[in-house]
Amino acid sequence: MKWLKRAALVVLASIALMGILAPQIAPRPYDAQSRESADAPPSSAFPMGADEIGRDRFSRLLYGTRVSALLAPAAACVSIVLALGISFVAVSGSRIVFFGFSGLTTICLSLPWIFLFIILRAKLPLNTGPALSVGLTFGLMGLAGWAWPARVFAASIGEMKQSAWLMQARSAGVREWRIAAVGMWPHLRAIALAQFRILVPAYVLSEASLGLLGLGVPEPLPSWGNLLRDLQHPDIVRSNPWVLAPLGLLCIAMVCLELLQSSREAAL
Amino acid sequence: MTGAVDKQGLAARLGLTLLNLVLVVVIGGFAAAALVRYSPGFDVDENSWNPRISAATSEALHASRARENELPRFYLNYLSAALRGDFGQSDSLKVPVSELLRDRAPVTTRLIVFGTAGGLFLGALLAWLAVWPRKSAGEIFSVTISGFFLAIPPAVLALFFFFEEAPLWIAVAFAVLPRVFGTIRAVLANVHASPSLLAARARGVRPLTLAVRHVAGAALPQWIALAGVTLVLAFGVIIPIEALCDVPGIGQLAWKAALSRDLPLLCGLALIITFVVACAQSLGELLGWEGIGR
Repeated sequence: MKWLKRAALVVLASIALMGILAPQIAPRPYDAQSRESADAPPSSAFPMGADEIGRDRFSRLLYGTRVSALLAPAAACVSIVLALGISFVAVSGSRIVFFGFSGLTTICLSLPWIFLFIILRAKLPLNTGPALSVGLTFGLMGLAGWAWPARVFAASIGEMKQSAWLMQARSAGVREWRIAAVGMWPHLRAIALAQFRILVPAYVLSEASLGLLGLGVPEPLPSWGNLLRDLQHPDIVRSNPWVLAPLGLLCIAMVCLELLQSSREAAL
Repeated sequence: MTGAVDKQGLAARLGLTLLNLVLVVVIGGFAAAALVRYSPGFDVDENSWNPRISAATSEALHASRARENELPRFYLNYLSAALRGDFGQSDSLKVPVSELLRDRAPVTTRLIVFGTAGGLFLGALLAWLAVWPRKSAGEIFSVTISGFFLAIPPAVLALFFFFEEAPLWIAVAFAVLPRVFGTIRAVLANVHASPSLLAARARGVRPLTLAVRHVAGAALPQWIALAGVTLVLAFGVIIPIEALCDVPGIGQLAWKAALSRDLPLLCGLALIITFVVACAQSLGELLGWEGIGR
């Protein structure tokens, strides 16, 4: 299955590269409107056609890839760093702190993330700019997703704290920071990587769902989520099947991420 | 002796579960109260816009409202009202949250119950195909189907079923399916490799007896626990499905509340759903644990 994993990696890298190089590849800016070409069919000027206000669908897809495919890993990093910090504090603190941590994770895991997210999103001022809004969308996603990785980290740190090697290191006078950096981090790094691989597809899908609901990345900035909003109009899909391109790209990325995840599980 | 230990263990587990639920109410209630208290415009008193009252009266009204709404006092009032079933009034719809919930809960409950049951059934069917016949074609087929549905956002699935005029609970089932497939597959693989099942097969036990007594019986505790967890997934996918397909349920209500920034309604809904899901999860874990203990 190694070749499948390699192929998935190549496809994901190509998608990421496409996003990074969007300003160079895209024939037009993502927000350039050409009202006389509204709903234009695919042509040499508009390779995937134009949307209802004459924006080039191909350029918007490239820029949307940049937003969705690059910011989801950033949000996953936020969740993991937050989860690591919280779990360290919880495990190192008193029993009451740990009990509070346990209760808080139970609440976060019992509340569907989308509720938590739309509550936080509803708190944002109405005049938030698009760039700040994108940062906040993915930042909030990162904040909302800390609970599950934190539980895994806390369980692992708790286990390590009871282990013989750690007690031996402590009795030998090794400093706490050294134990954490040399002894604990290699174990936690593997868990962090596994959690990262789980969170990235979850955040890509979350952004897509939120974008479809109009609660994700705001216009005029494109993302896979808000580009999918055209799917609500079957007549547009029938007249220009290229409208499905964001969904196709999203599915390809998700399948590749899933392949990487399952090949890792198989290796373990 | 073992029975006594089991009973003690069950009592401890029950105690922990209840404590967890109390924590959900206390911490979740605090978070909801704080969000409502600090929502935009909460402190504004309609009387302060009345041109006939003096500046001093307006100031006094504002001070009295601020005293009334100090977070600890507001939290206690919010929590005691919530425990009586009063979650305040929706800002945008001007209707009590509990009334809105009563009207919309049956639609969402139907969608979630059928969707979760369908997702679990399809997940179990695919997992059985992947594990039982020991044929790589079956495994590839079930993994592909599960991967396909995992890659499609639930909202897109819902749109497809909506335009095809098919029942929407099928979209919920397909959204739940890939998220439970992996766990059911792992449970079935464990059961399949267990010595008791091998022994039963060697004794020539009939396939139906094998399936009912040795497979379903052995995996039942994990499946019950999984059903509790699946509820969170189902509630998660219900918002985009109801919002986009115009289903008058709790998900659509939450979406409308988010768009109109109606925090009292949103927080009330979130608190109720958190409590319901936490109860279902705890019950699933308890029943599962009891099953494992037997």
